[in-house]
Amino acid sequence: MTQPETPEPRKRRLLILDDEPIVVKRLKPAFQKAGYDVEAFTDSQEALAAFENNPADIVITDLKMEGLDGIAFLDRVKAVSPDVGVIVITGFATLETAKESFHKGAFDFVAKPFKLADILDVVGRLEARQGTRRHAF
Amino acid sequence: MQSAMGVLGRIGQALRLAPRGKAPVPFVVLFKKFKSILERNNRILTLMADMGDKLGGEYVFDRRYIEAACEEMADQIFKLVSDLSILNRCRNVPLFTAFETVRQEIADELAGRHHFPDTAPTLPLSALRADMAEAAGGKFAMLGELKNVLQLPVPDGFVITTGAFAAFMAKNGLPELIARQTERLDADEEGALAEASATVRQRILAASLPKSLSRGLAEALAALAGRLGRPPRSLAVRSSAWNEDGETSFAGQYESVIGVPPSQAAEAFKRVVAGAYTPEAWLYRRRRGFREHEAVMAVGCQVMIDSVVSGGLYTYAPLTRKEEGIFVSAAWGLCAPIMSGELDTDSYLIGRRAPFASLSREIAHKPQALALRPEGGTAYTDLPPQKADAPCLAEADLSLLGEAAVSLEKYFKRPQDVEWTIDAAGRLYILQSRPMVFHGDPARRTGAIDAATEKAEVLFSGRGDVVQRGVAMGTAYVVRGDADLDDFPFGAILIAHHTSPRFSRIMPRAQGILTDIGSPAGHMAAVAREFRLPTVVGCGLATRLLETGDEITVDATQNVVYRGLVKELRYFELTEEAVYEDSYEYRLLRRLLKKITPLNLVDPHAPGFTPASCRTYHDITRYIHEQAVAELVAFSENRRGILDASARKLRTALPLNLSIIDLDGDGSAQGGEIAPEALPSLPLRELLAGLTGSGMWDTDPVPVDMGSFMASLTRTLGMGGPGEEKLGRNLAVVSNEYMNLNLHLGYHFILIDAYAGEVVNDNSLYFRFLGGVTDFDRRSRRARCIGKILERADFRVEIHGDLVVGRIKKVDLPAMRAKLRLLGGLVGFTRQLDVRLGREDDAHCFATEFLTAIAAVTEDAHDPARNP
Repeated sequence: MTQPETPEPRKRRLLILDDEPIVVKRLKPAFQKAGYDVEAFTDSQEALAAFENNPADIVITDLKMEGLDGIAFLDRVKAVSPDVGVIVITGFATLETAKESFHKGAFDFVAKPFKLADILDVVGRLEARQGTRRHAF
Repeated sequence: MQSAMGVLGRIGQALRLAPRGKAPVPFVVLFKKFKSILERNNRILTLMADMGDKLGGEYVFDRRYIEAACEEMADQIFKLVSDLSILNRCRNVPLFTAFETVRQEIADELAGRHHFPDTAPTLPLSALRADMAEAAGGKFAMLGELKNVLQLPVPDGFVITTGAFAAFMAKNGLPELIARQTERLDADEEGALAEASATVRQRILAASLPKSLSRGLAEALAALAGRLGRPPRSLAVRSSAWNEDGETSFAGQYESVIGVPPSQAAEAFKRVVAGAYTPEAWLYRRRRGFREHEAVMAVGCQVMIDSVVSGGLYTYAPLTRKEEGIFVSAAWGLCAPIMSGELDTDSYLIGRRAPFASLSREIAHKPQALALRPEGGTAYTDLPPQKADAPCLAEADLSLLGEAAVSLEKYFKRPQDVEWTIDAAGRLYILQSRPMVFHGDPARRTGAIDAATEKAEVLFSGRGDVVQRGVAMGTAYVVRGDADLDDFPFGAILIAHHTSPRFSRIMPRAQGILTDIGSPAGHMAAVAREFRLPTVVGCGLATRLLETGDEITVDATQNVVYRGLVKELRYFELTEEAVYEDSYEYRLLRRLLKKITPLNLVDPHAPGFTPASCRTYHDITRYIHEQAVAELVAFSENRRGILDASARKLRTALPLNLSIIDLDGDGSAQGGEIAPEALPSLPLRELLAGLTGSGMWDTDPVPVDMGSFMASLTRTLGMGGPGEEKLGRNLAVVSNEYMNLNLHLGYHFILIDAYAGEVVNDNSLYFRFLGGVTDFDRRSRRARCIGKILERADFRVEIHGDLVVGRIKKVDLPAMRAKLRLLGGLVGFTRQLDVRLGREDDAHCFATEFLTAIAAVTEDAHDPARNP
C-alpha cells in the first residue's frame, strides 16, 4: 500500500481564547512545545481583532465569557475565515451547547477539565482533516 | 448556601424518623441506607481522587471546576451524614457540626476570605508540622517538620501565627489601607509603587500590637528562656509567609532581622511584617499572580546560634550527564552575609552517597566574619591570615552535611536549597530548607532517558492504577504486618499486599508505594497523594516479585517498575518545569484540598476516633464508613426490627439450624426450606461451599485429654443428633451481595458480615468469634490460633481474651470468594479447637494444618491470573 503524501510541515497558527488566565497559561506553553505558533487571549474582543487582522488556522475558544461569548466568537471567526478549525472548550457542557457549537461549525467540543494530551490529540485530528481537505482540492 | 438553620431543620427532620417508643425503622430500610452509604462513600473518595488528580499536572482546569467539585463534595458529605443519621437513630449531631465547619471554611476560601486556624498567638517550634503552614507560614511549618519529624537539629524558637498577624492587621485598619493602595497599583503600578509601599510600611511600623499578641509574645519568650535555662542572648526574627518556601520560594524577598535582643522582639515583628510591602516583595507577588489577600505573614523567632562556620548547600548538583553531587558553600561566622553574597565562600562538591567524600574543593580568602556581640547584636570581626585562607569545613563536617542533604531531598522529593550553621561544639543546625529552583534542560536529557530505560530490566509495567505521579528510587521494603512498619527504613519503597490507611504513619519516610491490591479511590491513596508520594496500587504481583532489599526504580508516571536505579528518570523529573503551580487556581485548589483530603482519623480504635475530631471531609467519610458497618452489625446482633422480612430455613445435612432473610426477595416465597445452591446470596453460598467442601465440620469425636467434657459435646453436635434444638435459631440476613450471619454453635458465637460485589471499594468482611465451653486459657489459645489463621489470610486481626475480630476491606471479588470459603472452613474447624489445643504451642501447628487443608477449597475461588 502506498502511504498518502504528507504535506511539508509548517508552523500552524493557533489562537487560544479563555477568560480564565489559568487555562491560557496551561495551553499556551503546551502547544508551543508541540511546535505551534500560539497567540493567546483572555478577552474576546481583543482576540477577535487579532483574528480579523491575521486569521489563525485553528481556534480554541471558551464558551461562557463576558461580552462576546464563545458561540458569537465562533460565528465571527467563521465569517472571516470559513476554513478555520474551531474547538470549543467549556466548563458548562450541556447537550444543547454542544449541539449549537456543532451546528455553528465547531470541529469538536471538549468539556473542562481535560487532559493536555486530549486537547493536543483533538487538535491533531483537526489538523489531519484540514490536511486531507487541502489535498483533496 | 445552606444556613445553620437549614442544617438544624434537617436534623430535626431526621430525628422525627425515630420517635421514642415507636417501632424501629424496618431492617430493609436500614440496609438500603447502609448500601447507600457504601455507594456515597465510594463516590466521595472518587471525587477526592479526581480533585487531587487535577494537581498532578496533567489536567487543565478552571475556577468553575473547583466550585463545582466543592459543591458536589459538600452535597455528598451532607447526604452521607444524613444517611448515617437514619442508620444510627440520630446519634451523630456532632457530625453535622463537623460538616458545617468544614463547609464554611471552604466557602470562605472560595470567597477569598481565609480561614485562619484557631491557635494561640504563638506556637513553639516543637508543636509545628509541615501541614501547619496555614497557621505558621511555609518556612516555620517546614522547620517544625525538620525538627519534629526528621529529627534534624533546628535552633529552638516559636512562631507568631497567621491568626495573630491577622488580628494585628485588623486592629490597625491595615487591610483597608492595603486594599486602597492595591487599587492605586492596579491603575498605575510603576507610578504608584514607591509611594504605596512607603505608606503601608510606615503604618505597619507605627502600629500597636493587640493585647493578646503582646501577652502571647511575652509568654513565648519566657517559655523559651525556661527551655534554655536562661533568657536567649539574641534572636533571629524571620518571615514565614504563606507559600514562602513552597512552590514559590520568595527567596530573598522578605526581611529577616538577626541579633534581636528579646526586649525588641515586638519591633522586629513589625519590621518583618512591613518587609512584605517593600516595592520588590510587593511586585514579586503581583507578577506571580498572588492576590493581595494571600499576603499572610507569620513571623518566627529563633535563638541565634553562636556560629563558627555557616553556609548554604544545594542537595542536587548535576555535574555531567552521568555525574551528580552535592554543592556546599561555606564561610566563617554567621549565615546572613553568606546568603546575601556579601562574603566570599569556600566551595565543595561532595558525592551523593555515604560517606559523602569531597570530589573537589575551592578555598576562598575569607578575611572577615560576622559574629554575635556579647552585649547583643552582631558585628564583623577581622580574622588572622592563616584562618582567612584555611578551608572552613573538614571531611567530617562534609559528611554531616551530606547526610542532612540527602535526608532533606528524600523527604521533600525535590532538590533543596539549604541554609545551615555549625557552632563551636561542632553541632550542625539547619536554618532553612526550600525547594531548589532548578535551571536544567529536561529536553536535553530525553535521549539519555530512552537509552537508560531501554537498558534497564523491566520488572513489570502497566499494572494497577497510578495514584500519584512521580519517580521513586531506592530499596524495596516489604510490609506484611503492623510490626514491620516500626522498622521501616528511611527512604525505602513500601511494598505491601493491600493498601492500608495505617501506612500514612510511615509515608513521610517512604520514597514510594506499590501494593498488590487496592483502589486509587481508597483512603490510603488520598493520603499518599497528600504526601505527593509516587504510588501505584493494584499491581497484583509486587509482593511476589520483590523482596526487602531489592533496589528498584518506580516510574509512577509511565507506570513501569525497573530493577536497579535508573538515575536519568529522576533527573528528568527534577528538571521538569511546573509553571502551572504558580497560578491562583492551583494554589486555591491546594488550600481547599487541605480541608478535604487529609485523613486524621486513621485508627478506628484510637480514643480520638470521634465525630468531634473530624477536621476534614475525609475524616467524616472515614468515620461514617466505620460507623455504618458497626451499626449494622450491632443491629443484627440485637435482632431488632427484622419481623417484617420472611425467613426460610436452609436445607442442609449439617446441624446449622439456619434461617435466612432475603432482603432482595419479593416476599412471595413463603417459609419452607431452601437448598444451599438456590441461595441468592453470593457471600452465603461461598461460605457454605467452604464449610461443606472442606470437610472441616468434623463429626467424629476428637481425641481429648481426660477431664474435658468436649468429647460429649462434639457428639451432641453430630449430624441430626438430639442436641440440635439446643442450638437455637441461627440467622443470616442476606441480599445478592451481602450476608450478615449469626451463628450460635454450642457455646461459642460467630458473626460474619460480608459485602462482596464487583466494586472493589465496597467489599468488606467482618468476622467475630467469641466464647467456648472449656476453661478461659484454652479459649484464649483458640482465639490466638484463629487470629493466626486470619492474619496469614491477610485479615486485620484483634484479639481480646477469647474474642477474635478479623476484618478485611477492599479486595476484589475472587479474593472475597476465597476469603469467604476460608471462613466457611474456619466455622467448622473452630468448633472443637479449644479442646484440641491442649498445649500452648499447638496454636501454631493447627493454624498451618488448617491453612494447608483449606487451600484446595479456596484456590478455585481465586483470580486465575494471580494463581497461574
